[in-house]
Amino acid sequence: MRLMDSAKQPVTTLAGSYGHPVHPALVAVPIGAWIASFVFDVASRLVSDGHFLAEGSRWLIGLGVLGALAAALAGFLDLVAIPPGTRAFRIAITHMSINLTVTGLYGVGFALRGGSADRVGWGPLVLSAVALAGLGVGGWLGGTLAFRYGVRVADEATQRTGYVRAGSPEEDS
Amino acid sequence: MAIAALITWLITAVGGFVMLAGWIGRGGHRPGSSGRLSPTMVFTHLLLAAVGLIVWIIYVAADTDALAWVAFILLLPVALLGFTMFARWLGSRRTSGAPESRFPMPVVLGHGLFAAVTLVLVLLTAVGVGE
Repeated sequence: MRLMDSAKQPVTTLAGSYGHPVHPALVAVPIGAWIASFVFDVASRLVSDGHFLAEGSRWLIGLGVLGALAAALAGFLDLVAIPPGTRAFRIAITHMSINLTVTGLYGVGFALRGGSADRVGWGPLVLSAVALAGLGVGGWLGGTLAFRYGVRVADEATQRTGYVRAGSPEEDS
Repeated sequence: MAIAALITWLITAVGGFVMLAGWIGRGGHRPGSSGRLSPTMVFTHLLLAAVGLIVWIIYVAADTDALAWVAFILLLPVALLGFTMFARWLGSRRTSGAPESRFPMPVVLGHGLFAAVTLVLVLLTAVGVGE
């Protein structure tokens, strides 16, 4: 098996079947929750009684942390599928390190936000902004792994079967 | 007691990761490996134990009794898989070349011992002993 092909295969069905990886599906949870949390943070400073937004924002951060941990477990399974010593592996390690740091920052943010404030303070808001920026970088690297290096993406022969028109003879290429 | 369980759990996890790194390093997770541990078995053990640990950390922080039971129930299949893999590991030690055949004995036994202590401490905490 070529090095590239080993990164396309799941190491176990727990990571999703061939062509259906679990990790990119799960990352939608923290990305969505943390973006919504930031919108709530900003909105809490714009409306007159933002308590419900500050409270909701903290819930979204917690939801995002749990989603991120679940995504991290699945992501770890895809990491071990990538052959060590390759550029893809180095990017994957960087992607993991950045996103675990981001998750840690949100964990700190969750702890900092006890109490019942009417609006989100500048400290937690800036922390979330920094974490969100890190998430963007981590997500970019995840995109590179999937869309540029095809980690856990089905091979081209499989992809080609999606482009055969019904009723036409199959292309040979 | 909850904190003691957290500490033994973390020590157990370190041992597990040492074995995992050795196993993956020798290609135990690759198709066609000569090992006797299936990747699904290894990773189910890891995933359930990791989820359990996260639940336990939340339990320690939030002190919600039900979470202690959730963690204990999660640990039961983890322990079952651990015993199964231990039995297979004993068998594999005669098969030189199996990726798991070179796990250091103290790490394997230490992992099992700390896991057993963790399971007992989690059960005692869930039952409410020492409160």
